[in-house]
Amino acid sequence: MRVWLIFIAAGIGTYLIRLSGVLLLSDEERIPLPVRRALRMVGPAAIGAIIVSALFLDHGQWRAFGAWHLAALVAIGVAVWKRSMGWSMLAGAVAFAALLLAGL
Amino acid sequence: MTDPAAAPRGRAVLGIGRLQWADSWAGLKAISPLLIGSAAFGLAFGALVDVAGINPWAGASASVIVVAGASQIAIVEAMRANAPALIAVLTGVLINARFALYSAALAPVWAEFPLRWKLLLSYLMTDQSAVTSLQWAERYPDPVRRRWFTLGGAVPFVGVWVLGTVAGILLGPVIPTSWQIGFIVPLMFIAVLVPGLRRPAELVTLAVAAGVVLAARGLPYGLNILFGIIAGIIAGAAWETLADAHARRRGTPPGERGTEAETAT
Repeated sequence: MRVWLIFIAAGIGTYLIRLSGVLLLSDEERIPLPVRRALRMVGPAAIGAIIVSALFLDHGQWRAFGAWHLAALVAIGVAVWKRSMGWSMLAGAVAFAALLLAGL
Repeated sequence: MTDPAAAPRGRAVLGIGRLQWADSWAGLKAISPLLIGSAAFGLAFGALVDVAGINPWAGASASVIVVAGASQIAIVEAMRANAPALIAVLTGVLINARFALYSAALAPVWAEFPLRWKLLLSYLMTDQSAVTSLQWAERYPDPVRRRWFTLGGAVPFVGVWVLGTVAGILLGPVIPTSWQIGFIVPLMFIAVLVPGLRRPAELVTLAVAAGVVLAARGLPYGLNILFGIIAGIIAGAAWETLADAHARRRGTPPGERGTEAETAT
């Protein structure tokens, strides 16, 4: 039951955020610049936090160095080089599979 | 790329006119390169629900109720860390605060849509469908055709996301643990985030968020994630403010360099 309530509360909050501008604003310029700046950083901050946490931590402890880190490096390298989501995922997945097969 | 003006006219199918079907189809085609990513992301979330031991019905429903993958993953991680419900919800809602930006950007684009369309399309709003709707708006000046185009991209995108989640929950128990399927979470987000990174402020945000997440790893309930996100946002916004002030002193026009929304899921 608790799980349901958490998802429903997050869902309602998220829906209200999605509606906010569409219902209340007629022009992006009406959001004050500092707020717009902060909102623009939410994506990199949130996604970066999730990447770092998943990559370096395992249940609150440091993850032992290995396939996770190396394959992530490959994915990041290809992402910077190709600027492509698809190539980055493919390279990272192939590298990870190869590293696991190699016993890392 | 189809010319909107050349769309066919004719009999209605399922009570929806031929032109509306054609516009919806064009919307689907516009978003189609991103559909595989949506399905794969759903799969990753579904597998995580299975690993975390969350009620599979609630996990699958989350993709319908919240419709925002990054926040759902963060919520599940917070629940795994036995976080209080309030912290789990706060983390999820904070991650989704970025939708306020899309919503503001889409307000003029959707201004002439009827209220029920605004309510529906807002529910289906994702990073990808919002960006697509913004990019194609000029090619669909007629609000009726524009709304069908937007719907045609948004519905399948969310549809494959939900189907992917269900598939991930069903397949989760079958996938051997030695495959370490959890790697899909950092991999997916690297692929989503890194190709679009260009502005120095974003790198500042990223570095500060990462530093806080790791330094505060001893905190309970996944609070290190919540604090990392907040610290990253403040640092990035402060950096932009300083960079603008600096540019203004040097006589360069101050700046809104790029008002387009960032890519993220």
